[in-house]
Amino acid sequence: MKHFLRMLIQVCLYFYCKFLWRCLKFVMRKLTGRCELQRICYNTKPGASRTMKIETSLRASKSKLLQTSVSVHPDAIEKTIEDIMELKNINPDINPQLGISLQACLLQIVGYRNLIADVEKLRREPYDSENPQHEEMLLKLWTFLKPNTPLESRISKQWCEIGFQGDDPKTDFRGMGLLGLYNLQYFAERDATAAQQVLSDSLHPKCSKFSKTEWEKKRMDKAIGYSFAIVGINITDLAYNLLVSGALKTHFYNIAPEAPTLCHFQQTFCYLMHEFHKFWIEEDPMDIMEFNRVREKFRKRIIKQLQNPDMALCPHFAASEGLINM
Amino acid sequence: MGLLSILRKLKSAPDQEVRILLLGLDNAGKTTLLKQLASEDISHITPTQGFNIKSVQSQGFKLNVWDIGGQRKIRPYWRNYFENTDVLIYVIDSADRKRFEETGQELAELLEEEKLSCVPVLIFANKQDLLTAAPASEIAEGLNLHTIRDRVWQIQSCSALTGEGIQDGMNWVCKNVNAKKK
Repeated sequence: MKHFLRMLIQVCLYFYCKFLWRCLKFVMRKLTGRCELQRICYNTKPGASRTMKIETSLRASKSKLLQTSVSVHPDAIEKTIEDIMELKNINPDINPQLGISLQACLLQIVGYRNLIADVEKLRREPYDSENPQHEEMLLKLWTFLKPNTPLESRISKQWCEIGFQGDDPKTDFRGMGLLGLYNLQYFAERDATAAQQVLSDSLHPKCSKFSKTEWEKKRMDKAIGYSFAIVGINITDLAYNLLVSGALKTHFYNIAPEAPTLCHFQQTFCYLMHEFHKFWIEEDPMDIMEFNRVREKFRKRIIKQLQNPDMALCPHFAASEGLINM
Repeated sequence: MGLLSILRKLKSAPDQEVRILLLGLDNAGKTTLLKQLASEDISHITPTQGFNIKSVQSQGFKLNVWDIGGQRKIRPYWRNYFENTDVLIYVIDSADRKRFEETGQELAELLEEEKLSCVPVLIFANKQDLLTAAPASEIAEGLNLHTIRDRVWQIQSCSALTGEGIQDGMNWVCKNVNAKKK
């Protein structure tokens, strides 16, 4: 009974707030002579805070045109903006900047949706050892990570050296499919020095902290680090979940001037690998069995960071120069 | 407030807690099985670093299931989880014939562990949805299961992917929870 009452109150409160909000919007519109989209564009600086407000406003709109505008095809965006301007009685000659700002926002919003679809498609494609492209990519991953050590055969215990579980990596991609391989390969290729450093640290992260005798006394020779490739696949899962849940919107809306692409996603993965590695060393876990605890703590930290609308996960990739004057 | 009092009553009769250890080689399907038991989504599984744990209510028991990674590097840590285990579930990839010997060895070593002595063991012959999967009877023979004399055991064919056979296995677990001879 109590529960039911509480729910009823919540429902009433929801409609009341919605009603109040509509009234407020109406009053503001009359007072300022601008619609909500205009007010957002004039009062909020470009980037995640603006795009996210525009997105909420569009989704909550009564107008069908505005509601569906967040899921139009990228090529139809220009036309959609014109329609919106017309619907809202905004003269594009008096407000030339508005159309451009709205278009940038919409490109980001639509781009994020499409990025989810692209990433999902890769994730759903299982690793297939009959497919020469997949095989080539896997072998490349080895060469990028171990440029000075040739792989003796396709099925080899050597795979464990870069952190796969057994002698054939194909079973390790599992639920992340090709996405895991794409990410690892991107990291190993584009950020080669860092990737090799993380790999070598992952084998012995605590080694440097101890003298040799102490090291041997504590018998920390086995499994003190983590498995690089497996962790990469787990971090891919983390990045994927952040993307799908919408938590990465802050980051992408801040760094990508237009539509975020797979490349942006992979850069985010590289950043997460770096950060996770640092975090692991700071946390100083006893052994690998604490992995899921550390990973969960790391996830919470990233999510908290992403709640700040000014947050970009990898500032050195910031491509927002083009946005500044919009 | 009839409903509330019933709920309170249910709450006051705590279930017997059961500690279940889920072991097996890497890629055997332990995490998929765990998620299937907890009725969670199984399409995003990643290789287990460390362990996962979930609690599942079943037939008046609270099953605390520990899923430990099966990678060779992690196997030395298995022993840290032996204590107070009520039932051991050992998962085998029935289609991975190349590693039957390896999985048999690991199982044999587990059965010799003092801390696991007399603990009932359920062997899941997993991945029966694959055409190349060996039938449970063949695996039982290959692993010489009939020589196990010091405990109750059972082999159950299943597919963690489709969920087939899992309930049968868990019914056996619930029936034999208290079969541990001290």
